[in-house]
Amino acid sequence: MACVVFDAKRCDAGAGRTRLKLVGENFPAVSNDIKMETLSFAVEADGLTRIYKRGGEEVRALDGVSFRVRDGEFVSIVGASGSGKTTLLNLLGCMDAADRGTLRLAGHEVGAINERARTRLRRDHIGFVFQHFGLMPTLTVHENVALPGLFGRRIWPSRHQKSLDARADELLERVSLAHRRNHRPHELSGGEMQRVAIARSLLNTPRLLLADEPTGDLDSATGESIIELLQELNRDGLTILVVTHNTALAAIAEHQISLRDGRLIQDSTDQML
Amino acid sequence: MILLALRNLWRRPLRHVLALIGIAVSVATLACLGAFGQGYRDALQSELNGMGMQMMLVPLGCPYDAAARVLRGKTLEFSLPQSALLTARRDPAVSLAAPMLMAVVPQVHEGRTDVWVGIDQSTRQMKPWWKVETGAPWFTGKNEVILGAEAAELEMRRPGDLFYSPETHRTLRVAGILQRSGTADDSLFFVPLTTAQAMFHQTDRITAIAVQLHDPQQTGAASTRLQTIAGAQVVTLSEMMGTFLNLVGAVKTLLFSLAIVALTIGALGVFNTLLSIVVERRSELAMMRALGASGPQIFALLTLESAILTLGGGVCGLIMSAFVGRALASVARQWVPLSPNEVLFKLTPNVAANCFLIGLGVGVLAGVVPAWQASRLPPALALNAD
Ligand SMILES: Nc1ncnc2c1ncn2[C@@H]1O[C@H](COP(=O)(O)OP(=O)(O)OP(=O)(O)O)[C@@H](O)[C@H]1O
Ligand SMILES: [Mg+2]
Repeated sequence: MACVVFDAKRCDAGAGRTRLKLVGENFPAVSNDIKMETLSFAVEADGLTRIYKRGGEEVRALDGVSFRVRDGEFVSIVGASGSGKTTLLNLLGCMDAADRGTLRLAGHEVGAINERARTRLRRDHIGFVFQHFGLMPTLTVHENVALPGLFGRRIWPSRHQKSLDARADELLERVSLAHRRNHRPHELSGGEMQRVAIARSLLNTPRLLLADEPTGDLDSATGESIIELLQELNRDGLTILVVTHNTALAAIAEHQISLRDGRLIQDSTDQML
Repeated sequence: MILLALRNLWRRPLRHVLALIGIAVSVATLACLGAFGQGYRDALQSELNGMGMQMMLVPLGCPYDAAARVLRGKTLEFSLPQSALLTARRDPAVSLAAPMLMAVVPQVHEGRTDVWVGIDQSTRQMKPWWKVETGAPWFTGKNEVILGAEAAELEMRRPGDLFYSPETHRTLRVAGILQRSGTADDSLFFVPLTTAQAMFHQTDRITAIAVQLHDPQQTGAASTRLQTIAGAQVVTLSEMMGTFLNLVGAVKTLLFSLAIVALTIGALGVFNTLLSIVVERRSELAMMRALGASGPQIFALLTLESAILTLGGGVCGLIMSAFVGRALASVARQWVPLSPNEVLFKLTPNVAANCFLIGLGVGVLAGVVPAWQASRLPPALALNAD
């Protein structure tokens, strides 16, 4: 743990460009070390609070939420509409900053690192799956899957491109959509689009997959196949957090978190403890 | 990345084409303006070079006005003594000094003025383009006249015809008619210098002397020497050219402000297009952020889009200007003093490149603000849009 704090401090203090880059390039190696030492938790949230200000009034979208997620867990987050599920996912995905509380992802203290490092953390370690798939309509299925690779270290990938293409094909194979590689997203069914989106989220081999109602736009049978796919990925070691209203999906999760009005009202692991 | 930018542009063809046209029009306007300026300068230079002289001696007064009057075939109110001609011819640097006497005869009933020009052999030597259409190439006797093409048409004379000038009570024989040149010469009546001096009671007086030097490099030294001739002043060719360019300057300023307006409209077009793209693509851009794109990468993507847009606009604009420019130049010709007869429109690579770069710069600059906004979109929008 000391190692983690040290690393975070280096990130924070590294105002100089080269220094920062150095730290960035060490990211995977450093976090591997962390995994070896501390292993246990992919996510550690402690008193997370997010307050939106709308005009004069404040909305406490999240209010002191604390929980832990072990590496390789399958977690579902449930709760009524407006209970703060998406807000929580935004925080976990480094896309928003908490007003209070601390968050550690794979040992990195998110609040302590700057925007650049956060973007890099998101790019290299976190995959996203959206309810509405979020595929680029102008790109083919294959290009969509390869898209996150564009945001890699170089703006102009060259040698990199070949391995990127191969990786995208491999992932399409994995979600059984290799034959649709040159189609446009609008030519696919909802389930197929979601499978493409999942393949895309895996491109940078994330350790954490965040999904916001991945079955929300799908009929139950198609949703079923997506759930199966997620389960498979989880069996292969991927840590998955899904926000869902889908009871089937919530039921298969080994770890459930329930929110109400921004507060955590139930955490299945706590009960076990 | 380029592919992505292109695909994004292709998604809203109409809007992007409109923005592209805006840029194209402004670049075209700029290019036309530049090409016109270049063409005019070149044409004027070659026209003045064609005159075969480096400077002109005129009576004291406004020298530039005097030079312009002489060049356009109008008379001066004052005159020089013939001795000035002799002095000029004695100067070592001078190879040729051609005198002329100009006189205006108003034709009140016909609403025009005839301009008579007395010249001698040296004028003919100085004007290599002096070409006779019909009749004799030069005066064979004292009482002869050579008509400009237009003057001959008006008077309905042919070589050999007799020509009575009621104002001066003289009968002249038409020796020849000049080829149409498109210059002021077309409407002139040329007579031998001595005849003109007698006709208009200007014995030993001349209106102006055109001076040709052995070596144009000596212009400076020669003009200081000639300046000492009493009652005369020297106007050099480059001074004259400067004056005419200044006159054109006024027209140019007008066109230039038009170009600025066009450029502003083009820039606003790109600005508006990109701004609405950012608003429209908010969730998509946020999603790219969620997938790991950094703010600078989003900025680069949108700047690339605007660069492609303005690049296309610039190319279209240059092509457009090549076509429209010629037509425009012929209209402009009517407004410009001492219009040269050559092509007024010269789209040199230099001019084209400059306009292209200006257009590109402005376009990309207009894209910067929307791109900056886009790069600062919170990535959280990606999920909130769900
Ligand atoms: N950007 C924002 N600005 C202001 N208030 C917000 C913003 N985003 C969310 N909220 C508010 O925060 C609360 C929690 O919203 P959140 O989107 O997290 O709910 P949710 O559990 O995801 O709901 P749903 O199931 O409908 O997606 C809501 O009251 C919402 O109105
Ligand atoms: Mg939500």
